[in-house]
Amino acid sequence: MTLIVWTYIVYIALSVPLTVWVAHTLHQNGRVFLIDSFHHNEQLADSVNHLLVVGFYLINIGYVALALKEGIAPADLRQVLETISRKIGVVMLVLGAMHFFNIFLFSRMRRRALLQRVPPPVPPQAHVPVATQ
Amino acid sequence: MNHLYVLFDAQCELCVRCRNWLAKQPTFVPLSFIALQSTKAERRFPGIDALKPSEQLLVISNEGSVYRGAHAWIMCLWALQNYREYAQRLAHPILLPFARIVCELLSRNRFFLSRALFKQEAQSVARLLAAHCRPPQTLCSNSRASV
Repeated sequence: MTLIVWTYIVYIALSVPLTVWVAHTLHQNGRVFLIDSFHHNEQLADSVNHLLVVGFYLINIGYVALALKEGIAPADLRQVLETISRKIGVVMLVLGAMHFFNIFLFSRMRRRALLQRVPPPVPPQAHVPVATQ
Repeated sequence: MNHLYVLFDAQCELCVRCRNWLAKQPTFVPLSFIALQSTKAERRFPGIDALKPSEQLLVISNEGSVYRGAHAWIMCLWALQNYREYAQRLAHPILLPFARIVCELLSRNRFFLSRALFKQEAQSVARLLAAHCRPPQTLCSNSRASV
């Protein structure tokens, strides 16, 4: 096998487990946020959590697959390492961006849920009887 | 609190437009709109006249708590899903006096603003009243003509 094929193999062998690890972290630690956001409806939280993780996998594995091809074949081991490092670096940045985007989504959902429980910010100024109809 | 009643002035184009905007927003607490010229207001909240609903916006909860002016606006925003944060900010002790001044100015000049912004004319008052004070229209138009 040529050097470029080895580059590809190492690239995939590193970036796919990396994606799995980030997705796993997100899945495990995002659950608490989601349960709180959905008023302790665990079933719904788990479902949303799962859907988010599926999206995360699709986007990241999709990116890893798209970015696989390397135009210039490396001539020696040094170039192989450089290529792998550059590719993995970009994958990590994409993963990081996706990860923060997910955290942003979690926190927004949670803020929404918290807002729902906020009491009126101002006290009433008078009281009137209400006729029942 | 699970319901808010908003008493608006059906003779003022600005108020009716605000009411229509509020009615379109997604809410945490359902809002009902009652024209202050309608008989429904007096029927549902006996003695509401003492609170002078024609002077400032009034919001009344289903428990009978009354909010006036800036407080009423804050309660309207608080009821909306997309604006509850703004309500919290406006209710802050630093911003509340400004909110009060703005609301008072708006309420006092609402007919002037309706004319200036939306070119409201005398004949459209009847149309607005007819749209928001059914039925009966006769009872509606002769109550509180002082506004």
